[in-house]
Amino acid sequence: MPLPSDFVFSQHNLQDYLDCPRRFQLRHLERMAWPAVQSEPILEQERHMQLGEQFHRLVQQHQLGLPVEILEESAGSDPNLQTWWQAYLRHPQTELPPLRKPEFTLAAQFAGFRLLAKYDLLAVDPGKRAVIVDWKTNRRRTPTARLRERVQTRLYPFLLALAGAQLNGGEAWQPDQIEMIYWFTAEPDNPQVFPYSEKQYRSDEKLLRAWIDAIVRSADQPMLMTADQEHQCPLCNYRSFCERGQRAGAWEDGDGDVTDEGDLSSIDFDFHEIEEIEF
Amino acid sequence: MEVIPLSPLQRSVANREPIGRLFVEGPAGSGKTTAAIAWLDQLLRSGIPADQVLILTPQRTLAQPYYQAVHQPDLPAGSLPTIQTLNGLAQRMVLLFWPIVAREAGFARPAQAPVFLTAETAQFYMAQVVQPLKEEGYFRDITIDDNRLYSQILDNLNKAAFVGFDHTELAERLKASWVGKPAQLQIYDQAQDCANRFRAFCLENNLLDFSLQMELFSRHLWPSFLVQTYLKRTYQHLIYDNIEEDVPAVHDILREWLPSFQSALLIADSDGGYRAFLGADVESAASLAQTCEQHIQFTGSYVENEKLSMLSAYLTDALLRRAYQPSPAVEQAHQIHFERFYPTMVDWIGASIETLVRADGLQAGHIAVLAPFVSDSLRFSLMSNLENRGIPVRSHRPSRSLRDEPAARCLLTLAKLAHPQWELPLNRQEIRQMLMLAIGNLDLVRADLSAQTLFSPRKPKDGLASFDLLVPAMQERITHRVGEKLEILRAWLRDYQAEPQPLDGFLARIFGELLTQPGFGFAKDLEAAAVTARLVESVQKFRRVTSNEDAGKLYLEMIAGGVIAAQSPQAWEEIGRTDAVLISPAHTFLMVNRPVQVQFWLDAGSLNWWQRLMQPLTHPHVLSRRWPEGRKWTDADEYAANQESLARLVRGLLRRCSGRVVVCSVTLNERGDEEHGPLLQAFQSLRRRLNLTEEAA
Ligand code: SF4
Repeated sequence: MPLPSDFVFSQHNLQDYLDCPRRFQLRHLERMAWPAVQSEPILEQERHMQLGEQFHRLVQQHQLGLPVEILEESAGSDPNLQTWWQAYLRHPQTELPPLRKPEFTLAAQFAGFRLLAKYDLLAVDPGKRAVIVDWKTNRRRTPTARLRERVQTRLYPFLLALAGAQLNGGEAWQPDQIEMIYWFTAEPDNPQVFPYSEKQYRSDEKLLRAWIDAIVRSADQPMLMTADQEHQCPLCNYRSFCERGQRAGAWEDGDGDVTDEGDLSSIDFDFHEIEEIEF
Repeated sequence: MEVIPLSPLQRSVANREPIGRLFVEGPAGSGKTTAAIAWLDQLLRSGIPADQVLILTPQRTLAQPYYQAVHQPDLPAGSLPTIQTLNGLAQRMVLLFWPIVAREAGFARPAQAPVFLTAETAQFYMAQVVQPLKEEGYFRDITIDDNRLYSQILDNLNKAAFVGFDHTELAERLKASWVGKPAQLQIYDQAQDCANRFRAFCLENNLLDFSLQMELFSRHLWPSFLVQTYLKRTYQHLIYDNIEEDVPAVHDILREWLPSFQSALLIADSDGGYRAFLGADVESAASLAQTCEQHIQFTGSYVENEKLSMLSAYLTDALLRRAYQPSPAVEQAHQIHFERFYPTMVDWIGASIETLVRADGLQAGHIAVLAPFVSDSLRFSLMSNLENRGIPVRSHRPSRSLRDEPAARCLLTLAKLAHPQWELPLNRQEIRQMLMLAIGNLDLVRADLSAQTLFSPRKPKDGLASFDLLVPAMQERITHRVGEKLEILRAWLRDYQAEPQPLDGFLARIFGELLTQPGFGFAKDLEAAAVTARLVESVQKFRRVTSNEDAGKLYLEMIAGGVIAAQSPQAWEEIGRTDAVLISPAHTFLMVNRPVQVQFWLDAGSLNWWQRLMQPLTHPHVLSRRWPEGRKWTDADEYAANQESLARLVRGLLRRCSGRVVVCSVTLNERGDEEHGPLLQAFQSLRRRLNLTEEAA
C-alpha cells in the first residue's frame, strides 16, 4: 500500500519503523488490529501505564497553575503516584524558562509529509532559550546511550527548531538555543540533558529524511524485519501473525521506553496514536 | 491545502480581517464550509498560531472537512488547531480541572479520578439501578426491552442537561403534557425515580455519563474563573459550524464566550435541525446571530440542480397539503419504481446500480441507498447483492452486535470453558460451533462428533475430555489431525487455569497463543482479529470502569442478556470513504454531509419515514426548550411535527443530491405488511398532477 499523502510521521511510528519495518507496515499503514498480548504480566503493566498517565496529568495541572494542596489530594490516591509527585515537587523547575506550554503539539511539512510531535512540556524564553521536558515514568532509567538513539531525542528538538517560531516571536529557534531534558521518576536526581546544536540539527535532518524516503520507497512492497531486530518479536503483538512464537515476553525484558506512551498493551495499541493526532 | 476557486461571497468570508464576529447562513451545498476552510487557511497563513483556533461542530462527522484541511502536508509549520465537539472539550476540561470542581459538584470521592461512562457502561449501571426496582413492580404496565428502557432513561437525563433544566423535573414536564391514559403518569414517575437514583449512584462513585459531563461543564467548570481564564487565553479565534445541530446548553455557553474571541465565524444551515430528536435547537442557534456584528446570507447550491430544487418544493407542498402546479421538468429528477416483494426490490436496486456504474460510468461513491432504518437483513441482502456484482459498498449502520459475530461467539464459549467457576450455562451446540472456528478446517460432522463425545452438558465444569481416551474407532472418525489440535486446546486451557487472567487478558492470550497459531482457525484471519479486538476493548473498558472482581463473569452475563451489545462506532475514516456505494439510514447520511449524485430511497411507503420512534419514557418535543410548560401534547401536535420533520428530511436529502432520486416501494414490506405512508402519498400526488399536466398539454 503506497503511503497516503496525508500520512503523519511521529516519533511513535518512526520508532516502530526502526524497531521493525514490518511492524510499521502492519500497524501504521495497514492499521491491522491484532489484539494479542504484547508483554506480561498484563495487569501490572496496565497499572503502571495508568499511573504514568495520572502523573502526566498531575504535572500538566500543576503547570497550568492548579494549587498544589488540591493536587496533593489526587496524588495521595496511590502510594507510587505520591512518591513520584513528591519527587517532582522536590525538583522545582525554577531553572526552566518562564513561559510554560504543557502538552503542546507542533507539526511541519518535511520531506513531503507532515511531521508531528506532542511535547510534555515546552518551557521557553523568547529570543533566549527553549527547553523540552519529557517526564519518563519507566520503572528504570533508560541508559543514556539508548536514549540518545531514540527517535524522540532526534525528532523533538529538530521539530522545535523547524516549527517552533510562534514561541519565539516569529523567529525560528537556533538549534543551540534548544535543549532536551528527560526527567525520570525512577531517578529524579539524575535527569538526562541533551543540548542541541546546528551540527546535530543537520545530522537529524539528514537521518529523518532518509528514514522517510526509505519508507516512501518501500511502502507498497512487503516490509521485512532484519536479523538484528529479532529480539523485538517477543514483545510485539504481531508475534503470531508473523509466526514468531506464542507466549509474550516479560515486560521486564523490554527497554521500558514505551511505558508512558500508553503503548504497552496490544489492546491499547492505537491509544498513543490517537493521542498524537487528536487536535 | 487544496486550492478551490471561490465565489465572491466565499472570498468575502475568507479574506476578512481576523476581528469581530460573522454569522453565515445558507442552505446545505451553498459553499459555507468551503468558505470557512478557506478562512482557516488564511488565518493560519497570516501567522496566527494555530493553537489559538478552536473549531467546534455538534458532531464529529460534521468536522470531517476540517480534519482533512489540517492534515494537508503544506499547512504552515507550527501548532495545531483544536477540532472538537463541545462535549469533547468538556471531557478535556473535566480531566484537567476535576480536582477543583469535583467536591462542590457533589462527587463523593473528589481525590479519585473521574470515570467516563460509554453508552454501554452507562447502560450497565442503569441496569444495576433499574433491575431491583423492576422486581418490585416498576414498569410492569409497559412492554419494552430492557435495553430500550435503560437508554430512554439515560436519554431523559441527557435532554435535561442539553436543554438546561434540572433532571428532577423530568416527570413533571412529561406528565404535564400527557393526554392519554392515566396509567402512563405512574410510569413517568418511575422513570424519574430511576433517573434520580442513577444520578445519585454516579455522584457516589465518580461516574460520569454524557449528561453529567455536560452538567459538570455548564454548571461548575464554565462558571469557574480558572477554567474561563484558561479557555479564553487559549482560544482567540472560533469557527463553529452547523450550529443548528447543537443543543441549547451549548449555545448558552457560546453566547457568553463569544465576546472574548478576537474573531468568530458561526455557520448555520438554514434547512437543518435534523438532530432535533437528540435535543438540537434551531431557534436557540439562530439567536446566536444577534451576537454577531456581520451577517452573510449564502444562496444557491453547488450540489443540487434546479430540477431537484423544484422537486423538493413540490414534495414539501404535497406533504403540507398546499396547492402546487408541477413543471414536467422534474420528471428527469426522479423515478418511482414498484416491486411486490422485498427480495425482488433488492435485486432491482443491485441491477440498477450496476448499470449506473458499468454502463453510465458513475463512481460507486456517488451513489447512496437510504432508508429510515437499515435493518440487519436489509443491509446484508443489499451488501451481498452489490458485492456479488463486484460493486464496492459500505454501510453506515454501526457494526452489528458482537453476540452475532461467529468469532466473538467462539471466544465467549472458550471463556466459559476456561472459567468453570463462573458456572455459566454451556451447551453442546456452542461447543460444536466453537470447535468449527477454533480448530482450523473442521467440518460440521467432525465438530459435532467431538462435541458429542468430549463434552457433557450435565458436567460442564469438567470441560473438554481428552481425545486420547476415545475408542480408536471414534478417534479415526474425528481424525488424529483434529485430535492433536484438540489436545493442544485442552492443554492450553489447563495451563491457563493455573494462572487465570481478567477476561480481556484471557481473550488476548488465547487469540495470540492458540487461535492465531499456524493451523488454527483464526490464523491470518483479519476479520476474526478485528472482531476480537473490539471484544477485548469492550471487556477492558467494562473491567476498568466497574473495577469488579467478577467483571468477566458479569460481562458475559450482560452480553447474554443483551444489556451490552459491544457495538463499536465506525471509525470516521471509514465513514468518510468515498469509493463505495453507501447504505445508510437517512438521518445518518445528513450528518455525514457528503452529497452524492444518485440517491435510492427505500421503502417509500413505510410510515417510518414520517413517524418518530415509539418512546414511552421520553419525548423529544416536550423536553425541548420550545415546549411551553404545562401545554398538552395532542395528536394534532404529533401530526404536525411528523409532517414538518418529513418535509425537512426530504429537503435535506435533495439538497445533498446532484443528479436524481430513485424512489423504491414494495407492496409488501420486510414484515409482509402493506404500507402507504405520507412519503409515498406525496410522490403519488406529484405523479397524478404531472399526468394531468401532460394530458392537458
Ligand atoms: S513479530 Fe517481529 S517481525 Fe513481526 S512485526 Fe513484530 S517485531 Fe516485526
